[in-house]
Amino acid sequence: MVENNELELSEAEAEQYDRQIRLWGLESQKRLRASKVLIIGLSGLGAEIAKNIILSGVKSVCLLDDEKLKETDLYSQFLAPPDKIGENRAESSIQRARALNPMVDITSETKAVDELPDAFFTTFDIVCATGLKQEQLERINNICRDSNKKFLCGDVWGMFGYMFADLIDHEYSEEIVQHKAVKRGPDETEKNARETVSITVKRRAIYVPLQNALSADWTKPELRSRLRRGDPSYFAMKILLRFRDEFNRNPDPAKRKADTEILLRMRDELVKELNIPVGFISDALLTDVFGIVSGAAAVVGGVIGQEVVKAVSQREPPHNNMFFFNPVKCVGFVELYGQ
Amino acid sequence: MVARVAGVFDEKLTEAIANSKILVVGAGGIGCEILKNLVLTGFPQIEIIDLDTIDVSNLNRQFLFHKEHVGKSKAQVAKDSALSFNPTVNIIAHHDSVISNDYGVSYFKQFNIVMNALDNRVARNHVNRMCLAANVPLIETGTAGYAGQVELIKKGLTQCYECQPKAPQKSFPGCTIRNTPSEPIHCIVWAKHLFNQLFGEEDPDQDVSPDTADPEAAGDAGASALSSEGTAAGNIERKSTRAWASDTNYDPEKLFSKLFGDDIRYLLSMENLWKKRRPPTPLTWDNLPGKDNAPTQHSGLPDQRVWTVHECAQVFAASCKALQTDLKSRPDGDHLVWDKDEKSAMDFVTACANIRAHIFNIQLKSRFEIKSMAGNIIPAIATANAIVAGLAVIRAQALLKGEIETCTSVYLRPKVNHRGQLFVPEKTLTAPNPKCYVCAPKPEVGLACNIKQLTLKDLNTAFKEGLNMQAPDATVEGKGLVVLSSEPGETDHNNEKTLEEIGLNDGCALLVDDFLQNYEVRVRLQQEDDEKSWRLVTDTDTPMPAPKEDKTANGSNGAKEPKPGPSRSKEDSDSDMEIIDEDDDGEPAPKPPKRRRTEISDEVVELC
Repeated sequence: MVENNELELSEAEAEQYDRQIRLWGLESQKRLRASKVLIIGLSGLGAEIAKNIILSGVKSVCLLDDEKLKETDLYSQFLAPPDKIGENRAESSIQRARALNPMVDITSETKAVDELPDAFFTTFDIVCATGLKQEQLERINNICRDSNKKFLCGDVWGMFGYMFADLIDHEYSEEIVQHKAVKRGPDETEKNARETVSITVKRRAIYVPLQNALSADWTKPELRSRLRRGDPSYFAMKILLRFRDEFNRNPDPAKRKADTEILLRMRDELVKELNIPVGFISDALLTDVFGIVSGAAAVVGGVIGQEVVKAVSQREPPHNNMFFFNPVKCVGFVELYGQ
Repeated sequence: MVARVAGVFDEKLTEAIANSKILVVGAGGIGCEILKNLVLTGFPQIEIIDLDTIDVSNLNRQFLFHKEHVGKSKAQVAKDSALSFNPTVNIIAHHDSVISNDYGVSYFKQFNIVMNALDNRVARNHVNRMCLAANVPLIETGTAGYAGQVELIKKGLTQCYECQPKAPQKSFPGCTIRNTPSEPIHCIVWAKHLFNQLFGEEDPDQDVSPDTADPEAAGDAGASALSSEGTAAGNIERKSTRAWASDTNYDPEKLFSKLFGDDIRYLLSMENLWKKRRPPTPLTWDNLPGKDNAPTQHSGLPDQRVWTVHECAQVFAASCKALQTDLKSRPDGDHLVWDKDEKSAMDFVTACANIRAHIFNIQLKSRFEIKSMAGNIIPAIATANAIVAGLAVIRAQALLKGEIETCTSVYLRPKVNHRGQLFVPEKTLTAPNPKCYVCAPKPEVGLACNIKQLTLKDLNTAFKEGLNMQAPDATVEGKGLVVLSSEPGETDHNNEKTLEEIGLNDGCALLVDDFLQNYEVRVRLQQEDDEKSWRLVTDTDTPMPAPKEDKTANGSNGAKEPKPGPSRSKEDSDSDMEIIDEDDDGEPAPKPPKRRRTEISDEVVELC
């Protein structure tokens, strides 16, 4: 998707990106340098994603947010200085975002996503959306899809988080390491050694849009069998997205008790609706979902940042299509929904 | 601050955080991320230690540092940047090595949790012991490329960092380096040794001249040439390489003719070596391949272009001169230390390694590739560091809540496993190895050596490098006889005596302790006539619990390669789990992703 930039890296770029070039190669670095990224929502998660992407050395990052910086943001949002409370979150993040890597072009947009025309979103190569309602996410996902632009979204509530990716029809190369026996010595005095040979293979992955993933049909046997594996994170995400849609906000630390009750009630409704075994979605998973905990934002923001790097560099298999961080077990896993 | 906002965490954790004191060891890639998470979360009292200064190649991930900070203290700049996120927390920064008398057991005892974000095994071992001695929980972290891990170490409850033997440095026989290289890494090791011989700290174990004691050459070494010059040690008796180079005023042409002409012709005279190998081709300064080549088109970084032999010779000449000038500008007796980030030092090694590779018909490598191999660079990226640091702080929160049993090791995998997992937690804590020579109630280890040959000086080295002690004291068990003392000068007069000469024999036990680490171990001597140096024997009778880690070595950074010491005890290299070592370059210990081995280039030269 990103045109290969024929220009060679400058000496300064080669120096600063030395370590990562050793990991993902020069070609990937050139693709990164040619890509334009939109980050929606400058909460703590948005800040983590922005940091990772800016450090990687993309061409440009646009920070989009119409919200004002709140005190609670500061517990995970390190791009906006504490003295900017009350100001726009995207604008107040710009200065520190630029300082992370002066070679990346950083801009901000303070309009609400609903006020922005479709054409706005398609000027980027990849869009990362956080903190939006399901309907908004689906709108942007569909706009991106129609223009063959990559779309990622994710959220962190308290300690819990998820990511969804729609890379449409994604081609990538993957390095496969093979071992082969090599004879080193002139005779049997030196043992045969194993040498690793890496070959690069081209692969392709097909994605589905967000609405398919969110409306996965749990009556189907292949999904029912997932219940045996026992991780309820998908449902926790559904409940938290519904909470946001219904109350037009996230669970509030100041209303921890009342909101927990609401969440547990919504959990019980979902259990009935999808015919999930009672007790499958434990209370524990819906207890620590207030605010954005810095450690969890770092974890989920790290995963999303790496997926952006994979998507634009078209190297290494990207996750298809949902990632969950379950803090109760400290497990992070990928599952495919909606196909 | 989160901790002080009601409702983000439950009351218990909120209070525990408000009363906590955390030590972060290391302000590199993971350290910066951990510090950020702690500060934002509102951990009120944090100390951070790092002896390093900021380099431009850190900036792609150590996000608390910017270009204007290059050259400054990591710990100090990290503190300043982190305070701008939350000025209400109290951070104390130490621009210092954690291995210092200033940070004794009582220092460690003041913390609720110690978080390691280190990049070398020596410091990790040390902090491990300090935390065991202080009985403070240690959260140990590391990344290598896309992979990483977080593990809890708590005395008596979990494995300690040293419960499982660590994989050895990849090592090459000295004769392979000196006589019969067959891979680029052999030439690179040789070139680094040459650097030390000419400009660095001279080390007799890093000789670069032909080795006439090569067992393979036995019988014919010198038959056709120079037979009288070999000594028992296998080296040709002559002036030191440095003295000779100095006499020639580091004349590049003369150096070249000796190293890549005369020495190669000498090797050719050891005919047995070349019966089944392709013999090397000596080079002459005036007639080098590639001299008349037209410049070739190259795409990629300039450093990724492989130089012709002719270019290598030119770089050799220029870097020799630059290094000589540098050496001359220093006080008498001072020497250079090889550093991959120092241009002339890196140029010199690239040029010499490639010229030698050409001579032995080995593939030439670019400066970029040689830098990775010579500098033991483990590529580090922002995202993996962020994930591992996030998981580490989440584990720290669980510890503070009193949920230590849930704090199992978590592995960040480079790719999802068969169950789709990207972060894979262990199901239970891993119990300590009862035979561990560090954390067992009565630590014990065997030392295999030739008691007739090993000197007390060697023994001191074995305790420092093998047992990772800083200042060992040793007495004979039952007799109280002081064998080694950490007091300067106290036992120096015995340095050159062998163990036998001071009355030690097979089966004899020494009590060895390190005051700073508050660590004592009983060391049994085991006579082995064939052992050329020394080797730790961790468990001879019963096999250790299956090694949990498939890790790699203690890297060695540049000039500080470990001496030919530890030939090591057996180890399962195909085990299921791995330990990733670190964050960045320096002393790598990449712990390869599960079931995949990371190739690294640590090396130690063994005596033949």
